[in-house]
Amino acid sequence: MGLALLIVVLVAIFATVNPGFASPFNLFSLTRVMGIDMVIGFSMMVVLVTGGLNLAVGSIGVAAVMVGGWAMQVQGVPVLPAMAMAVAFGAFLGWINGQLTVRIGVHSFIVTLATMSIFFGAMIVLTKAESFNALPGAFVDLGRLRYWGFVSGMLPAALIVGVGLWLFFNRTSLGREILAAGANLEAARLSGIRVERTIVVAHAMSGGLAALAGLMLAARNGAALPSMAGHIGMSWLLPAFLAPVLGGTLLTGGVISVVGTALGAAMVTIITNGLLQLQVGEFWVQMFLGLILLAAVLLDRLRGVMAERRRQVR
Amino acid sequence: MSVRWGLPVVAVMGLVAQGLVAGGALASDTRVALVPGGPHPYFAAWADAAAAAAADFDIEAEYRVPSAWELSRQNEMIESLVAQGFNAMLVFPGDAVGTNSTLQELADFGVPSAALAGCTVDPSAASFCLGTDVARSAYLGTQELIEALGGSGKIAHFTGFLVDPNTQLRIEAVQRAADETGGAVEVIQVIADIDAPEPADEKINAFLAARGAEVDGIVTTAWVPAVVAATSLRNLGDQRIKMVGIDHDEVVLQAIADGFVHGTMLQNPYGQGYIGSYAMDLIRQGCAVKDDAPWLETAQTARFIDSGTAFVDAAQVADYQAAMVAVTEEIMATFKDDYLACN
Amino acid sequence: MTDRLRALALADWFGLLVVVLVAGALLAFLQPAFLSTYNIYVLLLSFSLWVLVALAQMVIIAIGQMNLSVGAIGGLVAITFAGTMEVWGLPIPLAVLLGLVLAALCGLFNGVVTHVSGISAFIITLATLSIFKGINIGITEAQPFYAIPDAVKAFGAARLGGVPYMLVVPALAIVGVWLLFNRMVLGRQILAVGANRHAAELSGIRVGRVVVIAHVLSAVLAATAGMLAVARLQLGQPTIGDDWLILSFAAPVIGGAILAGGHVSVIGTCLGVVIVTLINNALVLLGIDPFFVQLLLGALILAAVMLNRWRERRREALA
Repeated sequence: MGLALLIVVLVAIFATVNPGFASPFNLFSLTRVMGIDMVIGFSMMVVLVTGGLNLAVGSIGVAAVMVGGWAMQVQGVPVLPAMAMAVAFGAFLGWINGQLTVRIGVHSFIVTLATMSIFFGAMIVLTKAESFNALPGAFVDLGRLRYWGFVSGMLPAALIVGVGLWLFFNRTSLGREILAAGANLEAARLSGIRVERTIVVAHAMSGGLAALAGLMLAARNGAALPSMAGHIGMSWLLPAFLAPVLGGTLLTGGVISVVGTALGAAMVTIITNGLLQLQVGEFWVQMFLGLILLAAVLLDRLRGVMAERRRQVR
Repeated sequence: MSVRWGLPVVAVMGLVAQGLVAGGALASDTRVALVPGGPHPYFAAWADAAAAAAADFDIEAEYRVPSAWELSRQNEMIESLVAQGFNAMLVFPGDAVGTNSTLQELADFGVPSAALAGCTVDPSAASFCLGTDVARSAYLGTQELIEALGGSGKIAHFTGFLVDPNTQLRIEAVQRAADETGGAVEVIQVIADIDAPEPADEKINAFLAARGAEVDGIVTTAWVPAVVAATSLRNLGDQRIKMVGIDHDEVVLQAIADGFVHGTMLQNPYGQGYIGSYAMDLIRQGCAVKDDAPWLETAQTARFIDSGTAFVDAAQVADYQAAMVAVTEEIMATFKDDYLACN
Repeated sequence: MTDRLRALALADWFGLLVVVLVAGALLAFLQPAFLSTYNIYVLLLSFSLWVLVALAQMVIIAIGQMNLSVGAIGGLVAITFAGTMEVWGLPIPLAVLLGLVLAALCGLFNGVVTHVSGISAFIITLATLSIFKGINIGITEAQPFYAIPDAVKAFGAARLGGVPYMLVVPALAIVGVWLLFNRMVLGRQILAVGANRHAAELSGIRVGRVVVIAHVLSAVLAATAGMLAVARLQLGQPTIGDDWLILSFAAPVIGGAILAGGHVSVIGTCLGVVIVTLINNALVLLGIDPFFVQLLLGALILAAVMLNRWRERRREALA
């Protein structure tokens, strides 16, 4: 995996150039962002595999978190059931996306373009844009969970989700059916797979994962915030697409890499964090981020091409 | 660009500082970072203020901007600044509630912080909030507008993103000012979510098309809507509709001078950055924030210091910084005694 | 029904036209100000800007790719256009030319990197979005350029009754893009590459050249939108373009473009822009509570898509 190599190189460079990079404080905050961005990436990944997109990840994440926050703070539901409610609600919103996509028969891009506005708009109407900031301590503490002094609990959580997804897509028949339908819809249909079902399931999973990412972010922020994912959830789109796409998940569907998505998220987080610590002019950070991303993508591609050639020569 | 705010103010501040520091105190180890919510013209004066404070108080003060206007980006920025060794933080809260968890972590790590320009909602780890009371500013702006309208009429309110908790406060404040007229003034429409210039242009002009003949006044409580509405009124050549804007964008100031806009609610970004840096240095040196200081109470916090809000109309627009320099001097003169207990 | 009428009724965009007319009639009934000269002017202004943004994306959708950097290019050109006039005192035509050249370079970069690396344009433009926007922020430090020449400002505000002068630019662009896709070899080649890249290659089309040209064209259209935004806002705002992404996709897709490539409709895209513009206009004109605006916007877009799709299905069933 070229990404793993790139990550090692980047970490080595950043750690050498700036001693603050390897400090426990920084590693903790780095792994926390990393874990959250991984789950956001997974949430997009499971829909990309069907050849679709889910622009509503951010809206679903926020909407679900507000439900969870309301359950915890206003209704006094215990933390775990409230979290389960939020995830179920996210999955339900995803299910709506899936159903609309299948029933209307248009690309999920346009369906989720509309629903990102609808879900977010409904959330704003119901909450009046007010946050829940008196969440139970047990929930907020999840954001402070720390292992070996420098690893945030968010990272292991994301990795566990990743293992679950890997098992799902590689070991269960439903997972394989989703992959098959994503690779070639008609062929899958002919072989007896209920392709509509695979699309709806993928969208529901995406919604559930978005809700989970939202809960992680809410624990980190110590509150359920309507502004958590920006206006109509837009600010999640970049991490949502970057991680799976850098990790080798094809936008055309059928190919998935859970490990790649995790590494993709890790790489972006490390680059962002490392760049912030280098003393590049503060307004130029974004440009360098873009340049490094481009270089990383191209390098990874180059490595792939060279590996291919070597194999052919042999 | 920064020269606009910089020069006259720097000169004044230099004098103030000399008095306070009293002939070169020991160089302190304070490294304060001033972190806005994202790239935005409002905060440009912070860069000058940081530079002036660094020189005047012999500290390190830097203006660091998150690459996009997102709470997560700002949090990452703040965390990385701590990893770089910054030991005091002045933050414009990316979210009035959401920023608290980051400030709490800073406190746990021994890094003092304060909310600057806008406040966090209590309970908060911020030492204090030095800034503009957004609700009060919107309320006063609306009152100025009502006065200009002669006490009655129909007004519209243009504001920013609804997900920003401050937006809700502003909408309520404008409504309250209108309600206090006992029905003489009516808010006929609120347009929100217009922080990007193109949609702002689209919606404000659509409003003017539908109700331009009916509306008597406009109050804007966000930067971009103020700029776009000022431009639209100028394009229409309309001097009948009275408008009260916000902040000090050149377009708004020029429109005031030319009579298309009645006035603007000015804030004091330079003073925020300068006084904030000064306060952070003192806190680093062991001063504690007093509980019995003359704090103001706002809808968000009980530890508020007003950095100055002033209404500026055509009469004062040419010399609009003067009011703010005066406020800054006034706060600086007694800040240490009023708000801090030093040993 | 004559053959001509039947052909019209079967066109991709006929359903959209019906949607537009019905929505227009409804709006005029609910709010008489809808048909006022000034509102027509406001609608056409919005249309002028958004249609260029939509066409910029449509050209890339045609080759089966996506260009996420449309807004970033528009913004970068906008501040370059404004900045070179303010700081270097460049004459207007030269500044326009410089803006177009800069855009062409951005598009060239997108196209060449996409083609040579063989990586999807989605990923490349995700990175260049950051680069172009990053350069914009780096140069401006988020401060607008204010000193826009009076001639540019006047152009942005000038109108003949309800028709803004600015409309000339998108009108030319629409005609040009329509001719490209309906009358020119290059247009057919673009669609061929989008429909089936492999087959296009085999039939002797130089795919690389076509891809690069499409990206340059997209960037130039985005640049035109950026400069119009400067004229309209009378300001070189660094945030110009930040909000374009969603509309750039929504309009062509509502207009019947297939995201996989190979099929786009210029008229459909224009009508898609009209629909979105009408929705935005209606939400203001009808004085909708701001808290409900986002919800209704989404619901109406969904309704438009469903209606169009329903009509398509009926047409398929009839054909």
